[in-house]
Amino acid sequence: MSIKVNLDIMLVKRGMKSKELAEIIGITTANLSILKSGKAKAIRFSTLEAICNALDCQPSDILEYVEV
Amino acid sequence: MKDNTIILTLITYGVLLGAISVLLNDIREFDFNQFEKFTNWAKTADKSESWFTSKNAIQWSYYTISAGLFFWRGYLIYGFSYFLSILKEIEAGNYFSDKNIKHFKKIGSIFIWYTVNVLVLRFLLTAINGSTFKFFNELKAEFTFLIPAGLAFYILAEIFKRGKEAEEDNELTI
Repeated sequence: MSIKVNLDIMLVKRGMKSKELAEIIGITTANLSILKSGKAKAIRFSTLEAICNALDCQPSDILEYVEV
Repeated sequence: MKDNTIILTLITYGVLLGAISVLLNDIREFDFNQFEKFTNWAKTADKSESWFTSKNAIQWSYYTISAGLFFWRGYLIYGFSYFLSILKEIEAGNYFSDKNIKHFKKIGSIFIWYTVNVLVLRFLLTAINGSTFKFFNELKAEFTFLIPAGLAFYILAEIFKRGKEAEEDNELTI
C-alpha cells in the first residue's frame, strides 16, 4: 500500500507505549498493531482524531503517501 | 435471530425426514424383483434376437430409469441437508463464512442437476412407453422450478462472497 503509517515514530517521539495509546484511544492492542503494521484497510476519522489528540500531532505526522 | 434459526432448523429437519420417509416408502413399493428376472432372462436370452426391441430389455430399461429417478430424489434430499449446515453456521454467527458460500453453490448445482437429469429420465421413460414427450409440458411441471431456485442460490453465494469481502474490510477498518 502506498500509504505509510508512521505511528511507531510518533510513539517514540512522545515516549509512549502502544498499550498506553490503545487504552487512551479506546481500541484493542491487536487493532493498534494492525494499524502500525500497515495491514489495516481503512482508518476511521474518529480513531485518527483520538490518535492526534493523544499524541498531540497532525494526521500528516501519522500518515504519509509514498510513491510505489 | 437465534430463535428463528432454531425454528428453521426444526422445519428443515421435518422436511428432510418427510422427504426421506416418502422416498423410502416409494422404494419399498418398487418391485426390485424385476432386476432379478432380467438377469435370469439375460442368461437364457436368444443372442440372435435384437436386444433393443425385446420386451424384457424395454421393461428392464423402464425399471432402471425408475431406479435412476429414486437416486436423483435421494440426491435432492442430500442437497436439502446442506441447509442444516448453513443454519448451524448462522447460529454460530458466521454469516459470511466460506462454508456457507460453498454450500449455497452446492445446493444450487444440486437443484439444477436434479431437474436436468429428471427431465432426461422422464424423456427416456416416455420414449420407452411409446408415449409422446412434450418438452414444454414437462417444463411446466412443479419440479422445474428448481432451476430458477438453483440459480437463485448461485446468486446468493455470490452475494455472500461480496458480503464476506465487506466484512473483512470492516474488520480491518480501525
